[in-house]
Amino acid sequence: MNLPDKPEQVAKDKLREMQCKFNPLSRCDGSVMYCQGATVVISAVLGPIEVKTQNLSIDGSYLECNYRPKAGLPQVKERIREAAVRDVLELALLSEAYPRSKMSLQIQELEDRGSIDACALNSACLAMLIGGLPLKCSFAAVHCIINEQGEYILDPDQRETEHERASFTFAFDSLEGNLLLVQTKGSFKIAEFNDVESLCRSASAEILQFYRTSISNYHCRRSDTKTSEEQMET
Amino acid sequence: MDSSNAIVMPGERITIIEEVAKEKRVILGPGLRRLDDTVVASKAGPLRHKEPGTYWIDNYQRRYVPARGDLVLGIIKGKAGDQYRVDIGSADIASISYLAFEAATKKNRPDLNPGDIIYARVLNASADIEPELVCVNSNGKRGKLGLLADGFFFKCTLNLGRLLLRENCPALAALTRELPYEIAIGVNGRIWVKANSLRETMALSNAILTMEQAGYTEIDKICDSLGDVLQA
Repeated sequence: MNLPDKPEQVAKDKLREMQCKFNPLSRCDGSVMYCQGATVVISAVLGPIEVKTQNLSIDGSYLECNYRPKAGLPQVKERIREAAVRDVLELALLSEAYPRSKMSLQIQELEDRGSIDACALNSACLAMLIGGLPLKCSFAAVHCIINEQGEYILDPDQRETEHERASFTFAFDSLEGNLLLVQTKGSFKIAEFNDVESLCRSASAEILQFYRTSISNYHCRRSDTKTSEEQMET
Repeated sequence: MDSSNAIVMPGERITIIEEVAKEKRVILGPGLRRLDDTVVASKAGPLRHKEPGTYWIDNYQRRYVPARGDLVLGIIKGKAGDQYRVDIGSADIASISYLAFEAATKKNRPDLNPGDIIYARVLNASADIEPELVCVNSNGKRGKLGLLADGFFFKCTLNLGRLLLRENCPALAALTRELPYEIAIGVNGRIWVKANSLRETMALSNAILTMEQAGYTEIDKICDSLGDVLQA
């Protein structure tokens, strides 16, 4: 995959380039390799599958989420990220569709070059969509920082995060743009928070549009061959 | 079948169906659900429509979700009381009663062992209970169902299974011209084939798996090369 490695070229109020590849893995029910700039993750979903009795719930499915760092075992930092992804997915998943079952999500970090939280969330959403798991809505997550000069930088690269004064991650749903997740770090004023939120909200529309075109391309590519077959048949 | 390429996303309201539903009955298939008076999507994919009033969302899902009346291939996993446990690739393991076979009585039980493959119909499928299978029709005859002895069993995508079972699919007819064979296709993405020799069976299974990527136009080419391979 060709990774753009020039963060200078991306404007401060623009998202880095997004790319995705569907079903790179063969044994799961749906998987996606997703990258935002140079940050790359692979997400895979399994479900609905059999659930252990201790986690069994009769009115909804159990959601399992695992996050694996690039090297080594998951530590506290990864556990927090995992919990954040699970919290958002629990809000978006239509769990009553498959009671007494388990939905399992695995996220493997391949490269962390900034906004890994948002990237993990977005890849989780795409994996759910491609795996055909029932969702109430899709969602998009955006990361934004305020640097030492007080500038807002949307979807920063790792080099830019070295000079952050405050960092924010927001997740919005696709229906009414409701907030699903807020993570903040550092010091900021309420006015700044509101500015960053509206900036992220407008960027989330771009991500949702990316989901739609990616899935549309995936379906068209496969059905194109089929329609030409039908024409040949007649 | 109307195949427009308009993609719907989860949570989207589908007003076209709501309009139609005012005049006649509509059937909501996979990926669509009713939320009070609105119709809402729960999966991503193109919206499909079949006359008179069936709507569903197409997607290349890999996990089988049982539905009543489906023909499936299952592997016997074990015995539990007066039932066999059968793996059909769904979330739950399915069950089939000893009495759901042709001419089976309490004394005369069918002889099935773990690892055997059966072709069965889904009798009962609900989200809340495990699926139940039968190997007889309503007259107590087995028809094409039951134990599949010998042969070769392999898994494929759900899409290929559905494609081959479609009425106008020319693939199986084209293969018949090359060699005689028996086949059982399950909508759960499992296929069992049997030809006269092991060599022919393997060639056949490879040909079927290649068909997924191929278009209808390439089917003849695959069949020709299958013939060449077998004569060599």
